[in-house]
Amino acid sequence: MRFIHPLTPTTPPPDPDLVGAKAHGLFTLLNLGFPVPSGFVISTEACRTFLHDGRFPEDLSSELSEALSDLAASAPDRHETGQPYRGAGQPPTVDGPLLVSVRSGAAVSMPGMMNTLLNVVSTALTDLAPPPHAAPSFERASPKVATRGSDKADITDAVSFAETSDSETPDLETSDLADAAGTNAAAGKGDSAVRSAVEAVFSSWNTARAVTYRELHDISHDLGTAVIVQAMVFGDRDRHSGSGVAFSRDPSTGERVVYGDVLFGHQGEDVVSGRFPTRPLIDLAGRESLVWAELVGALELLERHFRDVCHVEFTYESGRLWLLQVRPGGLSGRAAVRAAVEMADEGLIDRRTALNRVTPRQLKAAHTPRIRLDGTVDVVARGVGASPGVATGRIAVTADQAARMAAHGPVILARPHTSPLDMHGLAAAAGIVTTVGGPTSHAAVVARSMGKPSVVSAAAIEVDTTAGCVRTSGRVLTEGTVITIDGLGGEVVLGSPEITTGDTDPHLARLLTWAEEAIDKGTT
Amino acid sequence: MTDLLVLHTLRCMGFTDLERVAEATGLSIPETESHLIDLAVAGLVTKIPSPFGGWGLTEAGKAADARLVAEELAASGSLPEVADAYETFLGLNPELLDLCSAWHMRPVGGVPEVNDHKDAAYDGRVLTRFTDLDRRAAPVCHSLTEALPRFSRYRPRLAAALARAEAGAMEHLADTTTSYHAVWFQLHEDLLVTLGIPR
Repeated sequence: MRFIHPLTPTTPPPDPDLVGAKAHGLFTLLNLGFPVPSGFVISTEACRTFLHDGRFPEDLSSELSEALSDLAASAPDRHETGQPYRGAGQPPTVDGPLLVSVRSGAAVSMPGMMNTLLNVVSTALTDLAPPPHAAPSFERASPKVATRGSDKADITDAVSFAETSDSETPDLETSDLADAAGTNAAAGKGDSAVRSAVEAVFSSWNTARAVTYRELHDISHDLGTAVIVQAMVFGDRDRHSGSGVAFSRDPSTGERVVYGDVLFGHQGEDVVSGRFPTRPLIDLAGRESLVWAELVGALELLERHFRDVCHVEFTYESGRLWLLQVRPGGLSGRAAVRAAVEMADEGLIDRRTALNRVTPRQLKAAHTPRIRLDGTVDVVARGVGASPGVATGRIAVTADQAARMAAHGPVILARPHTSPLDMHGLAAAAGIVTTVGGPTSHAAVVARSMGKPSVVSAAAIEVDTTAGCVRTSGRVLTEGTVITIDGLGGEVVLGSPEITTGDTDPHLARLLTWAEEAIDKGTT
Repeated sequence: MTDLLVLHTLRCMGFTDLERVAEATGLSIPETESHLIDLAVAGLVTKIPSPFGGWGLTEAGKAADARLVAEELAASGSLPEVADAYETFLGLNPELLDLCSAWHMRPVGGVPEVNDHKDAAYDGRVLTRFTDLDRRAAPVCHSLTEALPRFSRYRPRLAAALARAEAGAMEHLADTTTSYHAVWFQLHEDLLVTLGIPR
């Protein structure tokens, strides 16, 4: 096939320029023997052809039909778990066609800029006999975009669910696609829903936001995106299902401890939407010990493979783990320094590599004040750091209160989200915490413009303006309670813990010693 | 009518000082203050006298503004035009937020770090994208002004902020109370209030 690469172990993995960085990671996972949902990748070349000609490449149409038939045929092989359903996974209420995800994935990461469509019905299966336990249903077999989870979150972030940062909705409406698919179905065209989804992802390369992103970050407009089509897995299938993000080391501190978030009984896009409070990943250990052990083992092996910190997105369905994405790196400032130093100590990399790993800007960011996270610190919530720095103050739950209280000392404004109506509170506060909205929300933008620490998406917190308090996992923090926020790591901590700066950081000191030694030896 | 202008302008700005209200309405400072005092006597606005204080609407003021704006919209018969403009605005809004984020933060190896504004080429690219967005936002302001004349202030205010940034005062993109972002957000708030959409 010219445009389509099946997701099977391939050595060496296909060129990221051709299959995109995300698919390149999936090939790496497959080569290492990790469980990846079956599927295939449509190359960036196909996207370029589509964008150039303004229509779906003819070769791609036939290749797509063939690939979907192959995918459907391979799906029953997944029956080893004894689950009475087809493919890598199906929602409990649907027994018929295979559902696939259609995800974008360019050679260069463009987080949140392009489209992803989930639960697209692959009509290739309409030609096949339904599984023995399923009642035949023409209605079910007709092409459509299932809207499980119902709202626009079904069409989520382009690159990965872990990178979804924006609360704004993408351009493509679910209904648009359903309409397009429906029209094609009337014309009797097979595979039309998947094809429409692929076209939608191709086209999203040129949305205004994507163009702006490439302009800002010096990325060529000619690259195009690859498209990954995979059998869906369902983190919301049953009580032994869930989704999450896992880091091989704590991304906030760089400490060598598996860290992440998990959402039991939910799909991946819910993990980062901020609409559901996630649980610390360690909770998985007690609840699904086998999944946990497999995940920890995978992270260890992946670190050795990449010789770098890495993180994965995963879904487990009926007790079975699936890896949906892997990426190396991704640590900021002092966490990157600590990880590099400790990996050198562990012999995973040499000191010279450690020095090269830390960029000048990471080194600069390593001087940002942070909360010293030792065992004594009472972390009440962990959101997303939206404006670096540490601030301590008394909780205020309305802008009016913040403005009043600020006359008597520093205040942390805690809000579900903010708007221009809260400007006086934002101006008065020493730091800002919001429970919904991402790093591009009003609160985040304003906090950064004022140079104030800010944490967003602290979903574990509930702000109760009527009662004048903040609730978090069974605890009530009344207005006036002193808290501290870390706008880099996203921690919200009770009281006023010790704050560290890069000047006192032992790992940074060691890295700088190595740098001096390297200069003395003339090896840099 | 001027009372609604001052009341509604303040409604969309949130809490702010006299000078900002005057600038946004296009009225003189004494004229604006006189209207604010009248509105305060009517219990619709209030002045909080603290270092972070300023003028803002009372709950009664918000209710009165919502009612007056709804009446104005109904009388003008321009609901479809305003709703259309709002749709277009919503398409542009994520871009504006992206640009503000890009102005403040700059990813290093996929990790957002604070933009230290030492790379003039990068900041220049951000400004270029603001200008491009502004070009596409101009027709929205134009349609809104056709539908309801009180929207006429947004176009010159946005253009003025951009012109200051282009003249080298880049903080007027997203870092001041009269920045492009600040005016844009008031326009967003105005559209929500005008159409009676809760935030």
